[in-house]
Amino acid sequence: MAAISLENLTKRYGDVSANDGITLAVEEGEIFGYLGPNGAGKTTTIRQLLGLIKPTDGTATVLGADIRNRKALTEVKADLGYLPDDLGFDERLTGNQALDYFARMRGDEQREELLELFHPPLEKKIETYSAGNRRMLGIVQAFMHDPELVIMDEPTAGLDPLKQDRLHQFLAEETASGTTIFFSSHILSEVQRVCDRVGIIREGQLVALEDIEKLLDRSGKHVWLHLREDVIESEFVTEEMINVEITDNAIQFTYTGDYNSLLSHLTSYEIDDIEISNPQLDDIFKHYYSEEYTEDS
Amino acid sequence: MTAILRLESRKRVRGSVILVAVFAVLSTMYFSIFPEYEEDAEALLEAFPEYMFDFFGLEALDTIEGFIAAEIYSFFWVLLVGIYFAYISAGMIVKDIDRRRMDLTLSNPVSRESVILQKVASLWVPLVVLNVGVPVIVYVGSVLIDSTINPEALAMVHLLSVPYLLVCAGIGILCSVIIDRVRTAQAAAFGLVIILWLVDSASALDPDYEWIGAFTPSRYYDETAILVREEYAFADAGILLVAFVAFLAFSVVLFVRRDIH
Repeated sequence: MAAISLENLTKRYGDVSANDGITLAVEEGEIFGYLGPNGAGKTTTIRQLLGLIKPTDGTATVLGADIRNRKALTEVKADLGYLPDDLGFDERLTGNQALDYFARMRGDEQREELLELFHPPLEKKIETYSAGNRRMLGIVQAFMHDPELVIMDEPTAGLDPLKQDRLHQFLAEETASGTTIFFSSHILSEVQRVCDRVGIIREGQLVALEDIEKLLDRSGKHVWLHLREDVIESEFVTEEMINVEITDNAIQFTYTGDYNSLLSHLTSYEIDDIEISNPQLDDIFKHYYSEEYTEDS
Repeated sequence: MTAILRLESRKRVRGSVILVAVFAVLSTMYFSIFPEYEEDAEALLEAFPEYMFDFFGLEALDTIEGFIAAEIYSFFWVLLVGIYFAYISAGMIVKDIDRRRMDLTLSNPVSRESVILQKVASLWVPLVVLNVGVPVIVYVGSVLIDSTINPEALAMVHLLSVPYLLVCAGIGILCSVIIDRVRTAQAAAFGLVIILWLVDSASALDPDYEWIGAFTPSRYYDETAILVREEYAFADAGILLVAFVAFLAFSVVLFVRRDIH
């Protein structure tokens, strides 16, 4: 049984489709990346899964419960954890009091273990917390009842890189013991690092659904170079380079081939400056899916 | 599943205690002037036009019961405490949605019906604190100035005010469910309680328009009748309770159906 299953899930506001017929399934024990730029409709999907908003059309199941069945959905929430992007705690409570509050509703089998990894100042009132501390408290409350499924919306926002790594490692351990993670993010590199599979959403529609490895192969690397001399296009550009832009002695492109062959290719040039990075999510959309999309439709 | 009730109840404590303190100050003031006022009451009262008394529903102002009904209950209790109940209820749902607390709350295995009912149930705190604290203060005050107030009537003026205050809360919770902005919901609840009270008071002045007051909650709670004449209108209290249940049921239905953005 899939932990989450979306069937033609649609949410419309007037003429605008925030979610437009999304169909996908998240298997038990996987980390599923839900990737898309801000405003693409990721949070709309999550809010429907939690029963906060009702679908206009289609439906979804969460741990076997149809989201249109309020009673069934409420029951399965005992095995669900949720880390919202915007953490609304009761500001006047201390961290401890807030966790006690959630524990009364759904238990806290692994609160102490979590607090060894993520340790916000529990004695202090939440209103004094930094963004990172709020996020850590959010992570603890999402996992403390050892849920079967955790839905996370931009989970690393506000965390320092060390804590981000810790979270990524923690997620790997949790899924190894059977927990399913629905990981929504607009940061490609993060999804690449953490997730097994990825669904990409743009303007309310699911534009890709595949293994992260395949996505990486397709997305390549963004390369930016300053050569000593002006770039001669016919000589420099190979067929693995796409989206090439040349200005005098500067060139940038997306490289889709083997990294070693790129490096040996570059050794025959005098390079003043170089930068190799992951392509921006927007670039991937622009250069891969838009073409595929127009062809399909 | 009483976690929400526990948390909400704790939030109600401070406001309730502050209100009792306000009533302690008011009572001290009124009790300290009553002995002197009592001597000149007749001459003093003649100076006021008749409609003033009709507007506030006052009578027997030269007795401690009439005086306290007028000074403490007909204005401060009915209006101030009524507004308090409407105002805090108006914040219960819309504020949690606005601050995004509702998202986390509803990620727990708790139904929306349970959330709203537990929140409203937390009003037991101000109901108990105020209805115990204030009559004790008033009774002790009246004993101290040797004008002991009838304790039974005093108890009834509080008991029968509970349905009235619940209706005010019902107005508030309905505002909280149907209005999307915190300030607007609170202002609407606040304003409605004042307007309804004004309509009741004003309509009492003219027999032709008195029927309009039948649609206001304060018409069904007559503090002067209770304290001065010891008339206990249980049927009126029943009407208020029915109105409260109707407000609450309607609010629950609307809250359960709506999208939470």
